[in-house]
Formats: sequence, C-alpha cells, structure tokens
Amino acid sequence: MIKNALSLIFVLAAASIAAAQPTPTQTPAPAKTAPQAPHTNLKVGQAAPDFTLRATDGKTYKLSDFKSKKSVVLAFYVLAFTGG
Amino acid sequence: MKAYQADIAKFDPNDTQIFGVSVDSVPANREFAKQNGLTFPLLSDFKRTVVKDYGIFNEEGGYGNRATFVIDKDGVIQHIKEGNEAIDPTSAEDACNILTHKKASQ
Repeated sequence: MIKNALSLIFVLAAASIAAAQPTPTQTPAPAKTAPQAPHTNLKVGQAAPDFTLRATDGKTYKLSDFKSKKSVVLAFYVLAFTGG
Repeated sequence: MKAYQADIAKFDPNDTQIFGVSVDSVPANREFAKQNGLTFPLLSDFKRTVVKDYGIFNEEGGYGNRATFVIDKDGVIQHIKEGNEAIDPTSAEDACNILTHKKASQ
C-alpha cells in the first residue's frame, strides 16, 4: 500500500516536472525573412556620411556638393542577389 | 484632394537628386538601368565604403542591404527605411512621394 502511494507520488512529481518544461510551441518561430540583416546605426537628424562615387552617367558624385542646393535620396539596392 | 494636388505641385524635381546605390560595377548598373528604364544615376560603391559608412553592409554576403535614406539640403538625414520597406529603385516616384509627404507634414 505504501509502495503504491510512493509510486503515485513519484508519477505526480514526474508529471508536474514535465508540465513545467517549456513546450516547443511556446518558442517564437524564426522569421521567414532569413539572414539577420544588419541595421544602420544612423538616425534621423544625424549628418549623412559623405561619399564620392562613380555613376552610370559617367560622372562622379560627391554628397557634400549637394549641400544647400538639393535634397538627396539614396536608394540602396541589391542587384546581383535579387535577379534584377 | 485639392491639398494633395497642391503638394505635388510644390514638389520640384530640380530640387531633389535621386540616386540608386549598389556595390555592383558601373557597367552592371548601366545594364540594370537600361533594363528598367531608370533615368536617375546609379552609384557604384564597388569598394563597399559607403554601405559600411551607412551601416547596411552585409558582411556575410559582401553586399549592401536594401535601404533608403532621404537627406535634406543641410546634409541631415530626414528619413530612413530599411529592408522590404525601402524604396524599390525601379520606382523613383516613391522617393518623390516621401519628400512630398514630408513637405505636406511641415
């Protein structure tokens, strides 16, 4: 009888331990948009880093040349990895 | 609707320079521009210095991630969008719209 009671306690204890374990469904599913994209450390309100780059029109552009003249939109894109 | 139309009129393309930027070579960018009928210049950040300066360099892939920065006449960043929210460079119109909305909200 005591043996039965002990084994019942054991089973209950084992069951409660099992219940306390986090189930796999509770962990957030990894985002489908794979590799971890690096995020810019630049913020709105900060000065934009200057650059000098060659362009498709044969000219070389310097960001600081646009100061007090034009707003500039920089659209960074991934060409070789998106298939156009 | 009238106000919206007025804002579009306020936007002056001569007031804004749009650039596409990638780590591809100038000839590769020329081909891309040709294929997509892009009229604005595409900058070639072949040395990956600019993508690093702007913090969007993907070390693993060796390329810059998709991102859009709008910089005002004082050289100050006014708008940042990254990843899928960033502008598709094949649609410069979107960039113009951002500036239009910025002006409207000021």
